[in-house]
Amino acid sequence: MNLSVVDKRLAVDFCGLELASPLVLLSGCVGFGEEYTRIEAFSNREVGAICLKGTTLAPRLGNPPHRVYETPCGMLNAIGLQNPGAHQVVNEILPQLDFSETRFIANVSGSTVEEYVEVARLFDDSPIDAIEINISCPNVKEGGVAFGNDPDMSARVVEACRAATNKPLITKLSPNQTDIAENARRCIEAGTDGFAVINTLMGMAIDVEQREPIIGNNQGGLSGPAIKPLAVLKTHQVYQVARPHGIPIIGQGGVASAQDALEFLIAGATAVGVGTALFYDPLIVGKINAGLAAYLDRHGLDHISHLTGSLMLHGATSACG
Amino acid sequence: MNSTPHRATIYLEDARILGHESHPGEQRILKLEAPKCAQAARPGSFAHLQCDPLLPMRRPLSIMRVDPEAGWVEFLYKIIGYGTRLLARRRPGENLSLLGPIGRPFAVHADRPRAVLIGGGVGIPPMIFLANHLRRLPGFKPLAILGSEVPFPFIPRPSRILVPGMPDGIIAAMPLLEDWLIPSRLASLQGFPGCHDGYVTDLVVRWLDTLSPRELAEVELFACGPHPMLEAVARLARKYDLPAQVSLEEFMACGVGGCAGCTVAIETADGQAMKRVCVDGPVFDAATVAAFKPA
Repeated sequence: MNLSVVDKRLAVDFCGLELASPLVLLSGCVGFGEEYTRIEAFSNREVGAICLKGTTLAPRLGNPPHRVYETPCGMLNAIGLQNPGAHQVVNEILPQLDFSETRFIANVSGSTVEEYVEVARLFDDSPIDAIEINISCPNVKEGGVAFGNDPDMSARVVEACRAATNKPLITKLSPNQTDIAENARRCIEAGTDGFAVINTLMGMAIDVEQREPIIGNNQGGLSGPAIKPLAVLKTHQVYQVARPHGIPIIGQGGVASAQDALEFLIAGATAVGVGTALFYDPLIVGKINAGLAAYLDRHGLDHISHLTGSLMLHGATSACG
Repeated sequence: MNSTPHRATIYLEDARILGHESHPGEQRILKLEAPKCAQAARPGSFAHLQCDPLLPMRRPLSIMRVDPEAGWVEFLYKIIGYGTRLLARRRPGENLSLLGPIGRPFAVHADRPRAVLIGGGVGIPPMIFLANHLRRLPGFKPLAILGSEVPFPFIPRPSRILVPGMPDGIIAAMPLLEDWLIPSRLASLQGFPGCHDGYVTDLVVRWLDTLSPRELAEVELFACGPHPMLEAVARLARKYDLPAQVSLEEFMACGVGGCAGCTVAIETADGQAMKRVCVDGPVFDAATVAAFKPA
């Protein structure tokens, strides 16, 4: 694997996978991994991994327009898991990906536990590097966040997928729930290898002239800098549960700079997801990598992994209260 | 039309603002120094612009004119929301980030040299770009029919070029197109002098009705503008059995095919599919746009 484009001090181990950089491009932002390579100077080699678009067993058309809308310091989206179905992804899209460039992570979704399992099984028999279980998509009627907000259901999905694959299993947790730490605890018991924290928050924007929601799906998922403080806290909360088990976290939500990425690492993340910021600056990953390397220089650190969970709280042992 | 996504290279350029003109009706003409985009853009291409460093999303704007030698691209936009309002505050000499050119351009066909360019409002720019392209192609006889409900972002002048079928007194034309020897006529419901008091499609119909069947078989429609106008163009294309290419718009996030945020429903051989305006379009065959299907 050619990892030479990224400073070696930024390489991290995530669920046994060596990532060239802690930066991960998030599911739903970069299609099936090749869309951004249209852009001059963009390289998949600069990122540690790419999470592919959420995939279900059968093809899905997705939601009607409008699917995206800018809100203050963020955006709403309700794509609705538009994808060509797991068979086509595994048989036609994966063979076209260059696995020497980066790691590719499948994002598995479904309306039933059985569908999650079936899709996970199809990816298990593929060159994919890891499988992310999406139990937090806010934009579909069945499955998704309906599973992710219920610790029992979350654990059932994780346990069933665990039995279907030996690939590293990453559970993408929802912020739209009361106790994310309890959910994380149940997912660890059910056999998850890692976490992605967080998915988008459910939100709505209204056209006041028409008195109707702007998003075709009525509600959508809020992403971007607006959600970052919440995502940092959730990452820290999950870290406190996951650390004793050695379960790593991809911290994500509104990352748009090296400073943001550092916050997630210090809060407990091993890797950091970049999503909405790509829409604003498609070449942001190289800048964040450079900023992380500069931070290591400035603080005399020989490796980025020293930062994970290095948060020093003020006179308290928990950030939950 | 080819249904595979457009895969040409997209450039990210830190573009200097060379000009930013105000026109009535909250319209602006923005000229940017972006040599790579200017070189690669084709009629129908758009660019995704960072209106302001504090906005999380870019705004897609159709390209109106380019000068590949001088390295500039020009846009016409109207202030309609927060993003374009912030864009309008940017001054010549400042820089803004441009991602482009993006999208499947218009496809021209030598067997249909009678190209009718139909533009409405901020849908006019791609028609200007296409007109400039067609005037250099031997044999093509473009005709532009443009509409606007705010004053046109140019001073119309009486045309010196005859267009068969036009109602009496409908003589206003776009000076730039006149200079290129391309006939044009204007329409508006606002009663502007020399402009047709009605829709652009009224004028297209009047002109089509002057053609012989053989001439009609040489016509292709190209359109960009508000949804009802494009729907009317699609209806007209069906009635006269003409091919029509329409440039669509939709709220857009990434602009490079990654997020599927800007999709529209398109009829394909395999049934209806949600196609991305950014890289599957923005130009689509009007006959395939599900929203334009007869009820």
